Amino acid sequence: MLGVGLLGFVMLNGGYLVTVLGLAAIYGVFCTGLNLFMGYTGQASFGQSAFAAVGGYGTAILCAGHGWDPVAGLVVSMAIAGLLALVVGYPVMRLRGHYLAMATFALGLIVYELSVEWSGLTQGYMGYAGIPPLGFAGHELGTERAQLGALVAIMLFGVWLAERMKSSRFGRALRAIAGSEPAAMALGIPVSRYKLAAFVVAAVYASAAGSLFAHFIGFISPEVFGVPMVVLSFTMLYLGGIGTIWGPVMGAVIASLLPELFRGLKEMQDIAYSVVLILMLIFVPGGLAGLLRRLARKPT
Amino acid sequence: MPDLIQLAQALVNGVGVGLVYGLVGIGFCVIYNASGIVNFAQGVFVMLGGMLAHTLLTRAGLPMPVAAVLATVIVAAIGVAIQLLVVSPMWQRGTSMFAIILATLAVQIMIERITILSLGDQPRTYDNFTPGGPLRLGPITIDYQLFWVLGGGALMVAALWLFFTRTRIGRALRACSQNAEAAALLGIPVGRMLLLSFALSAALGSAAGILITPTQYTAYSIDGPFGVNGFIAAIIGGFGSAPGALAGGILLGAAQAVAVVLFGAGYRNVAALVIMLLVLLLFPSGVFNATRSKA
Repeated sequence: MLGVGLLGFVMLNGGYLVTVLGLAAIYGVFCTGLNLFMGYTGQASFGQSAFAAVGGYGTAILCAGHGWDPVAGLVVSMAIAGLLALVVGYPVMRLRGHYLAMATFALGLIVYELSVEWSGLTQGYMGYAGIPPLGFAGHELGTERAQLGALVAIMLFGVWLAERMKSSRFGRALRAIAGSEPAAMALGIPVSRYKLAAFVVAAVYASAAGSLFAHFIGFISPEVFGVPMVVLSFTMLYLGGIGTIWGPVMGAVIASLLPELFRGLKEMQDIAYSVVLILMLIFVPGGLAGLLRRLARKPT
Repeated sequence: MPDLIQLAQALVNGVGVGLVYGLVGIGFCVIYNASGIVNFAQGVFVMLGGMLAHTLLTRAGLPMPVAAVLATVIVAAIGVAIQLLVVSPMWQRGTSMFAIILATLAVQIMIERITILSLGDQPRTYDNFTPGGPLRLGPITIDYQLFWVLGGGALMVAALWLFFTRTRIGRALRACSQNAEAAALLGIPVGRMLLLSFALSAALGSAAGILITPTQYTAYSIDGPFGVNGFIAAIIGGFGSAPGALAGGILLGAAQAVAVVLFGAGYRNVAALVIMLLVLLLFPSGVFNATRSKA
């Protein structure tokens, strides 16, 4: 309700907030994917930025470099990211706890370093400019508002898909794994295969988010997909409520609007995100969605 | 084709940096053994040590030994603050381990940004502890500071070993690592031991940062690489083993130096991360695990 109102208001008024909400929708896609892996399956990936980078650079190279159609670039990048997640995930998903955390973190850092160093492919620190806006079969979405509409539609589709997955056999298996791996195994769930599948799905979401970002902003550089992106997406996830359907989207919108309240130095924003994240982790680990549910349940 | 002299020179320098990785790795182990917590913000201590020592030297005009000790004390206090304000509240609420790792990562970003705002984002360095040098052995040169790094590192490792094996507090810390509940039943204040472990590992990282700064530079952004490489050192050594972490760090520093000679300076971190993934997948409990028990 509030979301629809906000969207309508911004659509009518336009301006800078269109960009902010567009980015929120993109992060909504990213966090919805991450949520499948972390919220439902109870695993951790600190390297999802790697797959967003695959999407972003895939789109940049295919669309800006080779003149591909945006949709084709998006889909091919998603396939590459999924394949990469499959290959990397196969050995890495055997790890647990802090090993898993650090291995995925390393993955993000490796891709970051490669995007800086492999300048023949990625144009290095300079970044990739001139990426066309979203469109299909030669028709570009000219205005920012039209793009925002498309982004929100794509995000809602992503959320709908996640919702379907959550209540499917696949989703129930994932939640069983989050509850207890040995118990899930005893129920006949092939634990490592399902973990890998969740990892691949999350990577495909992240890649889509990276592609959308490239189209929306028109420019990407290695900095876009660095460690701050990981922390920001976790902030959104924990702010909104990890393991819920709408939590990631809520978190993405709120965390995107947050800096608008206290515009200022980029450093101050990062500090604010970190502080919010730490406070949420300590005091409200269920996020806003969990908080709302608790309030709703309380007899008045 | 790089010649052998170039390679030998790189190895000499790599061992120095590797020792610092080893010390950071020990820092990871000290906290992990006491609590099972992995503090991703470990590299922050190395960065803060160098930055604070530089600030105390140049802005306050203190002599080097005073600046070094003062910087280390301040960094240890910051380590304690992180434990008290962030880690401990989560630990007591039984928060999941991923959430604690995430919180320490957020602390790292926060401290980085505060450092930029207060001390600036320019890289800086200061003079070697002893003037003169470098020492020449044929075509290979050895910077005098490298001896400070090696000597300081050896001293700290020896002191740590004595602390853990000969003192009551050190033994209590080891007891916590073996079984925290049993240790608590024996009357060991486990919470205070956890504080001590953060102070100790912060001081270790800080000292390493102060020692290594003259050979390269320090800036707000060095914490990431040092933290990750220290972690890799700990993994090579089998997580939780202090001597293993030290050996792992030196191995890693040497391997990185060789990789730089072979592939170019840009790929030093990629090389380290690939080494880590390989170790994690092939030797999940450390490369030298068969020979040694937990320290």
